[in-house]
Amino acid sequence: MKPAFSVLFFTVTSGIGYGLLMWLVAMQLLRGQVGELQNFLIVGFIGLTLATLGLLSSTLHLANPKNAWRAFSRFGTSWLSREGVFSLLYYPVILIYAYVLYTNGGELTTAIKVIGVVSLLIALATVICTGMIYASLKPIRQWHNPLVTPLYLLFSVTSGALAYSMLGLALEGSLSHLASNAFVILLLTSLLMKVIYFKSIGKPEGSTIGSATGFTQAQVRLLDAGHNADTFLTKEFVFDAGAMKLLRLRWLMIILLFVVPLVLVVATYTFDVAPAVYFAMVSLYLGLFAERWLFFAEARHVVRLYHGDQRA
Amino acid sequence: MKLGLVIDLDTCVGCHACATACKQWNTSGTIGPLSDQNPYGKNPNGSWLNRIRTYEVKESLADQKPPSANQQSSCGSDKFDLYALATKGESALSFVGVNSATGAPASKTVHMPMSCMQCEDADCVTVCPTGASYKRAEDGIVLIDQDKCMGCNLCSWACPYGARELDETQGVMKKCTLCVDRIYDEKLPESERQPACVLSCPTSSRVFGDFDDPTSDVSRLTIERGGKGLMPELGYKPTNRYLPPREKAEVPAMVKTNQPALSKLKKWANRVIAR
Amino acid sequence: MNQPVNLLPEFENHEEQETKFTTCYMCACRCGIKVTTEGNEVRFIQGNPNHPINKGVLCAKGNSGIMKQSSPAKLRSPLLRKPGSERGAGEFEEISWDQALEILTARLKKIRQTDPKKLAFFTGRDQMQALTGFWASQFGTINWAAHGGFCSVNMAAAGLYTTGYSFWEFGDPDWDLTKYFMMWGVAEDHASNPIKIGLKKLKERGAKFVAINPVRTGYQAIADEWIAVRPGTDGMLALAMVHVLLQHDMFDDEFLVRYTNSPRLVVNTPGQVGDGLFLRNANGEALVYDQQRGVLVDGNRVDISPALFGDFTADDGRAVRTVMSMLADKYLVDEYSPTAAAKVCGVPADTIERLALEVAHVAFQESITIDCEWTDWAGRKQTQFVGRPVSMHAMRGISAHSNGFQTCRAIHLLQVMLGTIDCPGGHLAKPPFPKHIPPNLKPARDMAPNTPLTSAPLGFPTSPEDLCIDGDGTPLRIDKAYSWDAPIAAHGLMHMVISNAVKGDPYEIDTLMLFMTNMAWNSSMNTANTMAMLREKKDNGEYKIPFIVNSDAFHSEMVNYSDLVLPDTTFLERYDTISMLDRPISETDAACDSIRQPILKADRDVRAWQEVLVDLAGRLDFPAFKNEQGGNRYQNYKDFIINYERAPGIGFLAGWRGKNGDQHLCGEPNPKQWEAYIENECFFKYPLEPCQRYYRHANKDYLELAKAAGWVASTDQILIEVYSEPLQKFRLAGQGLYDGPMPTDEQHKQRLREHFDPLPYFYMPLEQQRIDTGEYRFHAITQRPMFMYHSWDSQNAWLRQIASQNYLYMNREECGRMGIDDESWVWLESHNGKIRAQVKHMDGVEANTVWTWNAIAKAPGAWGLDKDANEGKDAFLLNHLISELLPPKQSFTDITNSDPVTGQAAWYDLCVKITPALEGESGALPQFEPVKPLPNQPLSAREISYTTHQNVNIRRSLKDILTRGIS
Ligand SMILES: Nc1nc2c(c(=O)[nH]1)N[C@H]1C(S)=C(S)[C@@H](COP(=O)(O)OP(=O)(O)OC[C@H]3O[C@@H](n4cnc5c(=O)[nH]c(N)nc54)[C@H](O)[C@@H]3O)O[C@H]1N2
Ligand SMILES: Nc1nc2c(c(=O)[nH]1)N[C@H]1C(S)=C(S)[C@@H](COP(=O)(O)OP(=O)(O)OC[C@H]3O[C@@H](n4cnc5c(=O)[nH]c(N)nc54)[C@H](O)[C@@H]3O)O[C@H]1N2
Ligand code: SF4
Ligand code: SF4
Ligand code: SF4
Ligand code: SF4
Ligand code: SF4
Ligand SMILES: [Mo]
Repeated sequence: MKPAFSVLFFTVTSGIGYGLLMWLVAMQLLRGQVGELQNFLIVGFIGLTLATLGLLSSTLHLANPKNAWRAFSRFGTSWLSREGVFSLLYYPVILIYAYVLYTNGGELTTAIKVIGVVSLLIALATVICTGMIYASLKPIRQWHNPLVTPLYLLFSVTSGALAYSMLGLALEGSLSHLASNAFVILLLTSLLMKVIYFKSIGKPEGSTIGSATGFTQAQVRLLDAGHNADTFLTKEFVFDAGAMKLLRLRWLMIILLFVVPLVLVVATYTFDVAPAVYFAMVSLYLGLFAERWLFFAEARHVVRLYHGDQRA
Repeated sequence: MKLGLVIDLDTCVGCHACATACKQWNTSGTIGPLSDQNPYGKNPNGSWLNRIRTYEVKESLADQKPPSANQQSSCGSDKFDLYALATKGESALSFVGVNSATGAPASKTVHMPMSCMQCEDADCVTVCPTGASYKRAEDGIVLIDQDKCMGCNLCSWACPYGARELDETQGVMKKCTLCVDRIYDEKLPESERQPACVLSCPTSSRVFGDFDDPTSDVSRLTIERGGKGLMPELGYKPTNRYLPPREKAEVPAMVKTNQPALSKLKKWANRVIAR
Repeated sequence: MNQPVNLLPEFENHEEQETKFTTCYMCACRCGIKVTTEGNEVRFIQGNPNHPINKGVLCAKGNSGIMKQSSPAKLRSPLLRKPGSERGAGEFEEISWDQALEILTARLKKIRQTDPKKLAFFTGRDQMQALTGFWASQFGTINWAAHGGFCSVNMAAAGLYTTGYSFWEFGDPDWDLTKYFMMWGVAEDHASNPIKIGLKKLKERGAKFVAINPVRTGYQAIADEWIAVRPGTDGMLALAMVHVLLQHDMFDDEFLVRYTNSPRLVVNTPGQVGDGLFLRNANGEALVYDQQRGVLVDGNRVDISPALFGDFTADDGRAVRTVMSMLADKYLVDEYSPTAAAKVCGVPADTIERLALEVAHVAFQESITIDCEWTDWAGRKQTQFVGRPVSMHAMRGISAHSNGFQTCRAIHLLQVMLGTIDCPGGHLAKPPFPKHIPPNLKPARDMAPNTPLTSAPLGFPTSPEDLCIDGDGTPLRIDKAYSWDAPIAAHGLMHMVISNAVKGDPYEIDTLMLFMTNMAWNSSMNTANTMAMLREKKDNGEYKIPFIVNSDAFHSEMVNYSDLVLPDTTFLERYDTISMLDRPISETDAACDSIRQPILKADRDVRAWQEVLVDLAGRLDFPAFKNEQGGNRYQNYKDFIINYERAPGIGFLAGWRGKNGDQHLCGEPNPKQWEAYIENECFFKYPLEPCQRYYRHANKDYLELAKAAGWVASTDQILIEVYSEPLQKFRLAGQGLYDGPMPTDEQHKQRLREHFDPLPYFYMPLEQQRIDTGEYRFHAITQRPMFMYHSWDSQNAWLRQIASQNYLYMNREECGRMGIDDESWVWLESHNGKIRAQVKHMDGVEANTVWTWNAIAKAPGAWGLDKDANEGKDAFLLNHLISELLPPKQSFTDITNSDPVTGQAAWYDLCVKITPALEGESGALPQFEPVKPLPNQPLSAREISYTTHQNVNIRRSLKDILTRGIS
């Protein structure tokens, strides 16, 4: 699949945004207290901005954005619709949460906690929906994979953890150790999951040109696609980065997304290098871009079979 | 009703008539206009609802097993298998016609027209967030409400058959309507209430009808000829059926007299044949 | 259908629509169409279900008429090359029709008054040769022909000199009854939709379909058996089948005796005058040996039993033998055995033998009969038609080779031996065919100022006396048709006109008038050089072809090389006839013709060429166009069509003749004839009685009708010519044994001796005989794409999306051996030049053959296309490699690259060598300077959203959206 910048930016950025907000709320609920109200508002604002920027960018790839508002109408079946509904629903809930917290002087009442939990669930749901948009697509084997949604969720929570910890340093002068620790564990978990994912999509399975044409026991080769220039289908689905490039990118991704942040964050444990998290964050962000780019570039829609591929 | 098409791969010559018939009917039809970009420039392209591709199919090299045997049979007979067909007869060669000049493995050219399969389990519909995509309950035609589509492309991602194409000019998704604006138009003569592609196909390789009606041509052909849906393993339950190439027509050879060529000239007795 | 159907909106306002019938002309198949319009725009073009040709279906092109009508390349007004500008520079000024016709009339008047042959008038893909040919005769120039010479004259001539009809449009397989069908070298053909409809019928009935073709695409893809023959060798394949049939006694001797000249006695006196001619009595009647009487008798007699085989002695003591004996001798030799043929054709010997035994089986053991009373040529009542249900069709894979005439004769011979000529299940003729063999029409030769020709420019020579040469053998025609170069050039040699005229060989001309042909591009051999020739000037600065007039409807490459351009209407904008005098749309069981009527109003300053010709005829005072008072006899084209009679009662349109429109085929002019056609959906169909449908060469019921309709001159039996005596006469001339004109040049003598064999034979195509086939080891051929018509359709926004670039298709394994990657660029080099093209691998192509789609490439800027359009940058023309002359041979003068019998252009003889292009070399070569836009030419659209009304969307209700579950 062709990696479109707007979509990469959307999933990565809003993923971090929701992750950060989840951490923010979760930590308050865990700690039972809000801490510096102003910092809460700043972090909340950053999180919400990231989520919003992401969402806005996702509308950029709509060919007919004037109908975007209709996207909420098929909650019953469409993960995209659900994502839209949840992401929209999130705003009032998190704003109410912030407002009541604010008006309540930062005091967490049960009612407020409930709202917080609800916001957490909605954020989770939003990210899950994003994952499910891809995971539900049967024609794309690399996406229609049980690890895709967990990975989306993991990356959101993981990047949120780092962001949260980093903002702790920025606003309160110290990293959040809980978040840092969680980050390390989550990151290792996602690494493991990602490796399993790579293994699972590496298996030669799924539809073939044989099943796509009905000639299941013969060798089938495209002779003529019926057009010379690219069509919507080839532009949308036929993207070839080249095996070497993909492999190199996988390594780059592993370094940027896993190795560098991990080393830097672990370094803050033993050395007095807390500001390294800023670099960890940058590396993670870039790594996530690489991960998302690969997620698209390695996905092979079955329609490619009709245009010359032997296997999806 | 379960309306759809049967496409006969035994007779399709890949002429593209159905593709352009579709384009011309539908550009002023309910889903139209179907725009074209760079029509007179470099790399012209546009939205089409039906495209024809051509494949060369070669004797099995045994490297491609069907995704799953039971999934296969759930969606039509295995008559479609080049291999199965070939082993039934003398050899694979008998089915595809050996390249007598090169002695190359048996192979065959197959033309494959593709438009929307009007799937029963059409994920293109379920993924659509706006509700623009829907499957008509009454006849199973999958349609797009042009006024409601936001051009997110998700339905095209969900379609395994490449049946949906975004119209770049209007920013909305287009797909085969099964010519819903012909087949129900009572102002058209009854015989013309057929999809444009079906009316046009010079080899009558496209047949339109109701698969729920066991007496319809489409049902009958599907059974008689082992019509098959494509990529059954994905579970979309495509309605359209493809009829496999028939077994090669066989003709016996006349028995030779076994006379040496020139010598017999002498022996030719003239029959007395009145003018 | 149930309730929700009612919920559908009203899609079309049928009240605002109009439907009219006419005839498609996106190609020469001429299907019936029903056009729905809204305003002056086309909503939908569909096939006319009642039409005999297409029965409701349409092809890819016909379905894209909308985009042809909206082509940006449509010419808008008459154009004159700007004075002082160079030809080919594309500098034009728009002029009025009055100016254009005045310029042209003045020029033509002068030519006609002085030396009419200085006008060369050649036409391309038209179907109105009856009109243009008549116009040329009235003008008085013999330099007229249509495109047949570069197209398929081999097929037409081989048929007309053998069976009296032909594969080429004049006959069809009996799709309904045939059980075995062999298709030789056909990709698409003129009968585009009928062949497809027919193939479907065959496949439904389980009849066997064998495709003989080096390439497996299109029709061949659905064949039961694909025979990958090596290009140019089909003659060998067919004759090896004949060998097998003879060897095993598998021929229809009754058919041969009754309906062919195979029992006739041929004088067998090698080296003497008269050798190889029929033994004739004093009345000139050819003799046979009557087995009952034991004497030689007039072979036309009814009451005889001619011997098919045997050697006899004539009264004058000369040795004679039957055609059949000669035939057996000729083909039973090893040279024509399947084993020998296998080496030539690349088809295994046992396959060749099996094919022969299979057709024999079907012909003789699965024969069919149709009970029907009919009367044979001799007036004898017969009770049934016997059918040998084997049929064949062949076209340019056969004809476009320099041995195509003899190859096509070989295929006809195969049919004749099987008795499948015009019988149930066999190959059927289409009225007005069959004709007597060959048709009794000699090419015109004599010209005089201001005088019409006394006969048509084209005809069918039967002996050297009929040639168009002067006393010392110099060709009289500019294309050298009917000269020793090509004695039976029944359609002329259009591909030689420019080259000859520029050389002034045999003479210089003044004006070249072209209609509907793109001679500066795809219909020329050696295209780049042709364009250079069109620019060549004499010492005095005048162009070697001083004036070029061109009628085209679109901005073609030829327009760019014209001095005066007369813009035509599109096929949806004019009246036209598809006439019985021409190439009508007849079916095998019905005589049919048709018309076009304007569906749309032309929005440009254009005129139908038909109108222009009638107008010019008046201005030039052609006698047939003048009334007694000296005024114009015909007001316009419509008037001409109604009132012109070629012979009393015979005109362009056969239907609804007679004052009241109640007579058919023959009758007085009917002033309301056009209206009658329009009323009948623009076609006329005259079904033959069942007794007139078969054996028409010997069917009195049919021949009488044919005579009355003016299709044939007599009701005599049309005797099928297995042995062609006319050819032998030319051969004798080559041998120096003819009592009449004979060539003096050694090359001509040799060509006549070798190629004018009265019995079909196989020889290697001429180009191959003169090049190193080890070096140029690939055959390079083209195929018609089903979705495009020559150069017409790159301007079509829909069709060009299917292919705007062509590739060179090569055998995958061969590429593997040569290290040529898929989609890489290669050099192709012939004896004549070098081009660069992009390769695609395929399995279904004979290993020694490469091929490409024909005429996809275009000059940049022509046809309303952008300069960087793929057609100009990536697509290539094979034509650059094909020379109009044979590769030079020592001591021989240059001679046309054509069939030596008919002058048919030998496009597919081309042999090339192929080498990979270097790293980084890509794009097609040669490239050409972009053609300049025409004055006031609108910019081509960047985007099209064609629709004729506000599209009516089907809305999905909000309720449904919000409530419906999965489906
Ligand atoms: N769509 C479309 N239809 C057309 C036209 C068009 O341009 N487009 N053009 C029209 C015109 S003018 C003509 S003349 C007809 C021609 O119609 P066709 O006769 O179908 O012409 P070609 O495409 O030249 O096809 C020749 C076929 O012969 C094969 N061939 C080449 N050499 C040999 C050989 O030596 N032996 C054998 N057995 N096969 C060989 C080629 O592979 C090809 O398949 O089509 C007419 N119809
Ligand atoms: N390499 C190679 N070359 C070939 C062949 C091949 O097989 N291979 N085939 C040959 C054969 S068989 C043929 S018949 C020729 C065909 O070649 P051409 O005779 O050149 O025919 P076209 O390219 O069809 O178009 C001729 C012109 O007719 C114009 N035209 C279209 N419609 C109209 C109209 O309504 N009125 C007027 N006045 N003009 C119109 C077009 O714009 C175009 O310029 O090509 C030959 N050239
Ligand atoms: S289905 Fe019919 S119209 Fe379409 S490409 Fe095949 S033969 Fe042509
Ligand atoms: S073919 Fe594609 S567009 Fe058509 S119903 Fe099936 S999934 Fe949807
Ligand atoms: S592109 Fe249109 S029809 Fe397709 S899913 Fe998006 S909104 Fe629905
Ligand atoms: S049914 Fe109609 S919309 Fe669908 S492919 Fe055929 S012509 Fe096109
Ligand atoms: S074959 Fe096609 S282009 Fe030719 S006349 Fe028929 S419909 Fe028109
Ligand atoms: Mo032609």
